Amino acid sequence: MARRRSRFEPNVKKNSTFTLNITSMTDMFTIMLVFLLQSYTTSDVQIIPEKDLRLPTSASMTNPTEAIKLSLTASALKIDQTKITDLDKAHFLAQDLEDKDTNFIKPLFEELDKLAKSSTDKDKAHIKEGRILLQADKDLPYATLRKVMYTASMAGFPQLKLVTMVGD
Amino acid sequence: MRRARKIKIDHNSEFELDLAPLLAVMVKLVPVLLVSSAFVQMMVIETELPQVVSEAIQRQDQQPIPTTVALEMDAKTGIRLVLNEKGQEKAETIPMKDGHFDLDLLHEKLVAVKKLHPEVFKLEISPEGSVPYDEIVKVMDVARQARDAKITFPVFDTKQGKNVETKYMFPEIIFTNMMEG
Repeated sequence: MARRRSRFEPNVKKNSTFTLNITSMTDMFTIMLVFLLQSYTTSDVQIIPEKDLRLPTSASMTNPTEAIKLSLTASALKIDQTKITDLDKAHFLAQDLEDKDTNFIKPLFEELDKLAKSSTDKDKAHIKEGRILLQADKDLPYATLRKVMYTASMAGFPQLKLVTMVGD
Repeated sequence: MRRARKIKIDHNSEFELDLAPLLAVMVKLVPVLLVSSAFVQMMVIETELPQVVSEAIQRQDQQPIPTTVALEMDAKTGIRLVLNEKGQEKAETIPMKDGHFDLDLLHEKLVAVKKLHPEVFKLEISPEGSVPYDEIVKVMDVARQARDAKITFPVFDTKQGKNVETKYMFPEIIFTNMMEG
């Protein structure tokens, strides 16, 4: 009789521990891990993309190296995250430019000159060699870019690298 | 007889793997990788800026006049491809196509130039002031290497002492009109 009853009642162990089925979760994590490992870059330089700056896309496959990071948008010129000067609709303000030489941006030159002469930074390889990473918005006209390039080369930074995005 | 019954193995029992430690590792790895991975991959194009003094010296140094390839970009008329061969200038104009530079035609012309002069790696570009940065980068891209993987150019490798094939056309880009007013 007792044997027959046990066949119809579910066999519940009272003191068994509750186990979560984590197989599916592990599955998901494995996929995520693979994806993240694939997008992981070994580049030693961190370039922080600026807000409202759209980089041009290029097929270039050269990794960035340590350099002074300049960023140029239609509204501001920055070194790292510090604003150097404002721009008005992708054009430099007249007060920032030298009267005789309209390609010369005074605040940028002063800042680069300070970096080149500062006691803490001047011995760094990228400053000695004069390397600059330029992030510029893709819609900027060449005339504006040229002013930055010209001033940089005048300040002793002739090696200009243009930052581009990988894409089609 | 009794003992034999004791070691009877239940072949239908399910084998369960303990995934908890594996999960613990993944939970830690995923945030670490999330923080350090760059979702926007950025690369650089290397360019040289002519320096006032060094350029003047270089020009004097270059006694046997080398072949130079120059692109003059104008947002209205298009690209003028100037090939300077032993002091003789040959110019070709590549007109605009639908308001943009005709990159395909430019590429064809550059491949033809490179085939004639495989020793030239420098490309001098002088865009006009209103040309957008994006267009300049596109032109540089077109000039850097041949699109067709079959097209290669011979380069003399001094280490190996023989010609090596390369797909690069003009990887060294110089902005020449930087110093002009």
